[in-house]
Amino acid sequence: MSPVLFWAFTLLMLAFGVSVILNRNPVASALSLVGSFLCLASLFVGLDAFFIGVIQVLVYAGAVMVLFLFIIMLLDLKAEQRRRFNPIALVGGAAVSGAFVAFLLHVLKSFPAGSRAFPNLGVERLDDVRLVGFALFNHFNLPFQTVGVLVLVASIGVVVLSRRELK
Amino acid sequence: MFAPITLEILVLVLGFALLLAESFSNAPSKRALPKIALFVLAWVFAFSFFTAPAPDTVEPGSFWNFYSASPISMMFKRIALLTTMGVLVMSLDYESTLAKFIPSSRPGAGTGEFYILPLFTCAGLMLMASATDLVMAFAALELVTISFYVQVAYMRSNSASLEAGIKYLILGALSTGFFVYGLTWVFGLTGETHFDKVALKLAALENSDTAILFALLLVLVGLGFKVAAVPFQSWVPDVYQGAPTPVTAFLSVGSKAAGFLLLLRVLEPFLGVSSIQPKVLAVLGTMAGATLIYGNLAALPQNNLKRLLAYSSIGHAGYLLLAVASVGATVTGFGAVGTTIGFYLFAYLLMTVLGFLVLTAVSTQTKGEEIQHFNGLSKRSPFLAFALLVAMSSLAGVPLTAGFYGKFLVFAHAVNAQLWVLVGLGVVTVGAGFYYYLRVVAAMYWYEPTDTAPIHVSSLSKAVMALLVVCIFVFGVNPRPILSALQGAPAKVAAAH
Repeated sequence: MSPVLFWAFTLLMLAFGVSVILNRNPVASALSLVGSFLCLASLFVGLDAFFIGVIQVLVYAGAVMVLFLFIIMLLDLKAEQRRRFNPIALVGGAAVSGAFVAFLLHVLKSFPAGSRAFPNLGVERLDDVRLVGFALFNHFNLPFQTVGVLVLVASIGVVVLSRRELK
Repeated sequence: MFAPITLEILVLVLGFALLLAESFSNAPSKRALPKIALFVLAWVFAFSFFTAPAPDTVEPGSFWNFYSASPISMMFKRIALLTTMGVLVMSLDYESTLAKFIPSSRPGAGTGEFYILPLFTCAGLMLMASATDLVMAFAALELVTISFYVQVAYMRSNSASLEAGIKYLILGALSTGFFVYGLTWVFGLTGETHFDKVALKLAALENSDTAILFALLLVLVGLGFKVAAVPFQSWVPDVYQGAPTPVTAFLSVGSKAAGFLLLLRVLEPFLGVSSIQPKVLAVLGTMAGATLIYGNLAALPQNNLKRLLAYSSIGHAGYLLLAVASVGATVTGFGAVGTTIGFYLFAYLLMTVLGFLVLTAVSTQTKGEEIQHFNGLSKRSPFLAFALLVAMSSLAGVPLTAGFYGKFLVFAHAVNAQLWVLVGLGVVTVGAGFYYYLRVVAAMYWYEPTDTAPIHVSSLSKAVMALLVVCIFVFGVNPRPILSALQGAPAKVAAAH
């Protein structure tokens, strides 16, 4: 992937990420999140991970974000806009995340293998849909089934916790 | 002989069957559901003693790459099953309180899933106990956590339960984020997800101590949250107090047991890296000390029994962490410490489930969970008072109870590892524990009751309480059956080395 594209998409992604938090309007926040997801998808595509890139767009930017927006539309937007920031929490949060980033940079600096580029795979193109499917349904079958149960539990939870009146 | 995974499959099939039965039946009362579940779980528990051992050679692509049937895994599966059964018995008693806080079209409606969700949690706990792969461990952990989110917020017309649910959801999601980030670091460093392979690769890495420690730190944040270790304990008191009482018991035992087993499994590869071992042990020791102090001292002024048990749960996490921290110095490995932790958690299961059973029975009738509601319980219901006396004594660590032997084993490890400061802290905090646990006993036996009506308990709960009391004494005096179940048959252990 060309470094120019990498930096362009990374910076865009981060800018969208910051705008998710800074925007007072939830719809603008949600749309920024979509932008962030799209940039992330382009990064995946740039790494030749086409399948993950497509899934990123279809599932996250598409399905999940539409649900997000749908829920936001149902909420009272004005109440959200009126909320004030608590200065102590703001400073504390900034300090914690700043410390974490500083820590992360220190770790990356003292870890030579972290800044080494991986060698090229040496194949023209990978049949990644087939490979992902193969890994998921063959090797990782047991965790996959477990995630299936997890999704069932989550959907029971949604029904139980959100129905107005249970019968 | 069954394949061990049959146990999980049975529990899951039971969950599916009950879900379907619940949605298609017109029966107004849901009380049959937990009774059927109890009956089947008892059978599954019995089956767990007749499982076939794991095959010697594991083919690639087989589920044995993700799954272990070691004695300690089997024991933790049994702990999960017994906890779930205790929780179901409690839920039956709790029905009247639960129904009050569910918006339903008719009395009793909407309680069905409350009895079914614990089964999925149980399956998750059992899978987690067997996980030998980071991916598997994570999937099972999330199954457990997500089912807990729903159960904690189940009484949604009760603001305390909702608040607990939201708190647990947000902090839980944050800790999951840290855990996953840690796992990606582990995978990035080693390119493997199986614990054994990760251990080999980690030990062979050069010049990457900082990166390994960073990965471990992230993983510890995630698991510290699950086992309620300081400084990741802030969610515990509110969530424990707000959640429906059976769920609190489940969180306190089930979540802790699975969290500690996973902690041992994850730590093992990291402790294999000799250059960072002292640092890892120092971190664990510090966490253990802070957890001991915080849990036990913060429990002292509590007047709400549920909240007191929440702080006590943090305190017990401290003793368990003390055992984990004393692993390295003697190079006994996790064999011996794993046995200790298994026994401690088994004892903790007995006494905590007993305590919460009595709490459920008393609070349903007196409409309160404060310690003052237990005033003069010995005159109202001598049996309940005695059961709670046994639970509290065992939690405090009175000799001849299972709780005492658990603490004794932990301290034996710490003394072996020469962690004198932590041993001192442990002794002081046990003293503090005696004060706050026995305050409940004093209320029951020395204060006058405000109401003399005896407290009604169903015969099923009474039988379970009696059984737990007997077990606390039997395994307190003779812990050998549990210890040998955890260690497995001697021949098998020799073969494993």
